Amino acid sequence: MESVVDIEKRIEQARRTFDELRSELGRMIVGHAELIEQVFIALVCGGHCLLEGVPGLGKTLLVRSLGEILNLSFSRVQFTPDLMPADITGTNMLTDDPSGRKIFEFQPGPVFAHIVLADEINRATPKTQSALLEAMQEQSVTVGGKMHRLENPFMVLATQNPIEMEGTYPLPEAQVDRFFFKLLMQFPSHDELGRIADLTTAAPPSALREVLDGSGILQMRQWVREVPLADVVKDYAVRLVLSTHPNSEANHGGASLAQRFVLYGSSPRGLQSLILAAKARALLAGRPNVSFDDIRSMLLPSLRHRLILNLEADAEGIGAEKILDELVGQVLEVV
Amino acid sequence: MSAARDSLQAQFAGLLAWERRKRLEQTALVMAGVAVALAIVLLPLPGYFPVIGLRWLMPLLLMLLIAPWFFHRWRWRQQDATRSLVELDKTLNLAERATTAWELSSRETTSAVDELVFKQAQERLHGFAARRVFPRQWHWQSYGVGPLLLLWLALLWFEVDRSLVEQSSGAPLSLAHKVGEFSRELQEKAKSEGLRESLKAGQELEKMARKNLEQKSSEEQLKQELAGMAKKLEAAAKSGADKDSFSAGESQQSLQDLKAELEAARDLLNFPDAAKGTRELPQQWMDRLASLPQLKRQMDKGAQAGPGLGPNEIKSLLDRLDQQATGELDRRTLLDAQQFLEQMTKSGQARRNENDPRMDGRGEQDGADDGGVKEKNHSNLPGKEPGKKDHGGLPEFRGGAETQVKGLLGDGDSSAVGFKGKPVPGKSILGQQEVAANYRRQAEQELNSERVPEALKETIRNYFLSLESGEPKK
Repeated sequence: MESVVDIEKRIEQARRTFDELRSELGRMIVGHAELIEQVFIALVCGGHCLLEGVPGLGKTLLVRSLGEILNLSFSRVQFTPDLMPADITGTNMLTDDPSGRKIFEFQPGPVFAHIVLADEINRATPKTQSALLEAMQEQSVTVGGKMHRLENPFMVLATQNPIEMEGTYPLPEAQVDRFFFKLLMQFPSHDELGRIADLTTAAPPSALREVLDGSGILQMRQWVREVPLADVVKDYAVRLVLSTHPNSEANHGGASLAQRFVLYGSSPRGLQSLILAAKARALLAGRPNVSFDDIRSMLLPSLRHRLILNLEADAEGIGAEKILDELVGQVLEVV
Repeated sequence: MSAARDSLQAQFAGLLAWERRKRLEQTALVMAGVAVALAIVLLPLPGYFPVIGLRWLMPLLLMLLIAPWFFHRWRWRQQDATRSLVELDKTLNLAERATTAWELSSRETTSAVDELVFKQAQERLHGFAARRVFPRQWHWQSYGVGPLLLLWLALLWFEVDRSLVEQSSGAPLSLAHKVGEFSRELQEKAKSEGLRESLKAGQELEKMARKNLEQKSSEEQLKQELAGMAKKLEAAAKSGADKDSFSAGESQQSLQDLKAELEAARDLLNFPDAAKGTRELPQQWMDRLASLPQLKRQMDKGAQAGPGLGPNEIKSLLDRLDQQATGELDRRTLLDAQQFLEQMTKSGQARRNENDPRMDGRGEQDGADDGGVKEKNHSNLPGKEPGKKDHGGLPEFRGGAETQVKGLLGDGDSSAVGFKGKPVPGKSILGQQEVAANYRRQAEQELNSERVPEALKETIRNYFLSLESGEPKK
């Protein structure tokens, strides 16, 4: 039976771990503090991230550095149109056993790692993309009628380029919905660019220190789920998710952007992500409970990829971010 | 159960009790405001109450009426408690620790994490006093109650409610109300014209009417009292007639004109050059005095004016005439009042305006609107002053319906007053002297009222006098 002191210690430990991770990553990654926090939150929540940003912003570096810091196995798959599902999941190879008989032996693909970087995921065919789906959702792959469990913790960090759309296969909504967060990688500022230049054109920094291992992450996942959530805060999150639906009663009089530009609102999975992420944020902030601010902070990464907008929104250049921003201003904390 | 949880529960209970109390006060205030506003809107309603005192309780009655709705609509709910806790979190920057702790504290079993929430919330709420952190805040509705209440009290104090009832209801006024209204009008007239006997009579009548209303006496009893009062007034009028030497044929208007001219004549006598130590008034001033038609007529009648009279003799003459004119007006007003009371005694339904003392001379003024120069005889109007019988002035006889004509009819002088019509193109048939005299007379009447500033009265008089002498001043 845990005592209050034990809980205090573990919250303090979670906060300290996160601080260490942030400072260690800061040696390799310039800026992107918010993005790093969100990736770590997704990790301790057991979710996957879809990173969107133009090439050269350090997406791959971030994921690889994360793997080093966490002392987890890391693999990278460059998605191309000719990539086959078996190239990701692995395949049964015909080999000789010690007695000389021919047998099929499963050769695991790159998905069998703790952290998988699916680079430019939208360049692969839907069939290949779907192969990753089962792995993301079930944390297992089935090859030749036999299911193979993946590593635990397991996290997919997929990247996609928002500009170059030619020769790409946009991810279907069902697949996008399986990502815990969709994170946008912003272009660095003037100061950050200068620091990037210093960091990458001088002597390489020393190797990153390991701050957390797989078991530590699994433990933190357990702690996140124990963070209490007040009903009123939960109700706020529910109303926010409901308000993303164009026909929801929570929408205000039909004049909101959601009413005009959203075809389908967030799925219940969006609410799960939102609440779990808010709990993780509270834990990493050293708090034993979830606040309204936690919910608001996690709203964009949790829901931005779950809103399906209509053509009118496309024509008028309205993004999910703008709609969600408006909803935050409209939905009351307490009704 | 932990100490932190107990302590928190006590603090939350204190906060919620305080918030409930504020809500209750706010509800009561808003309710009071609405009740007073409704009382103002429904102002005529208390006029129908059987007991007069109940009108002062109107807002209270309305408040009792609307209270169930208000208390139901603004009842304390679970959301209100939650809102209070969230407000506490916001105010003290607790990141929803208080709200979470409050919810967790209502559960039967708590985990170690819950206990940590209690502990952190309690640490941050140490020394928290709900009254200090969340003092009473008055909204605009609360500030509106006072002025509304004052407005309502003022409306009731000035009996606006009753007058509204009287205006709106088609039903005739009660006898006491009629008498009360008549008495007030009588007093107003008596005060403005300096009629002492009429003022006394008006005051007595008002007392009588008020007593009847307060004691809720029967109308018959009031009629008896009115009959007695009518006799009293008749006696007073007769005794006044014995003393006054004015002819009964003098019209009301001519008497009023005379009073105005007397006032003007007195002012003329007060001019410095009117009494320069000479025993006799200069001929010029005597001529001006003579240009006042009513005064000249009275002087001619008595053959009292002449160049040999000195200022003191003229003054005493003017005083005597003024006294006589006032006495005659007083007597006629008493007679009017007596006739009104007699009618009330008989029917109680007679139209007020027939005997309204304020309506005297109205016919003359109305006639002036008709256009053209015309003369009208007033001396034989029923209920007015006695005079020569004039069929043109009597009510027209209509077959079938009995026409009762009141008033003293008999022989006597008839007076006539010339009226100007609207200006029409062409040559004027009125002489300048006559026009100027008429205008001056009107001006004198206006000067007697309080509408003209005191400082300007002298200038106005000089102006009109100069008009008559043909030397307009600029």
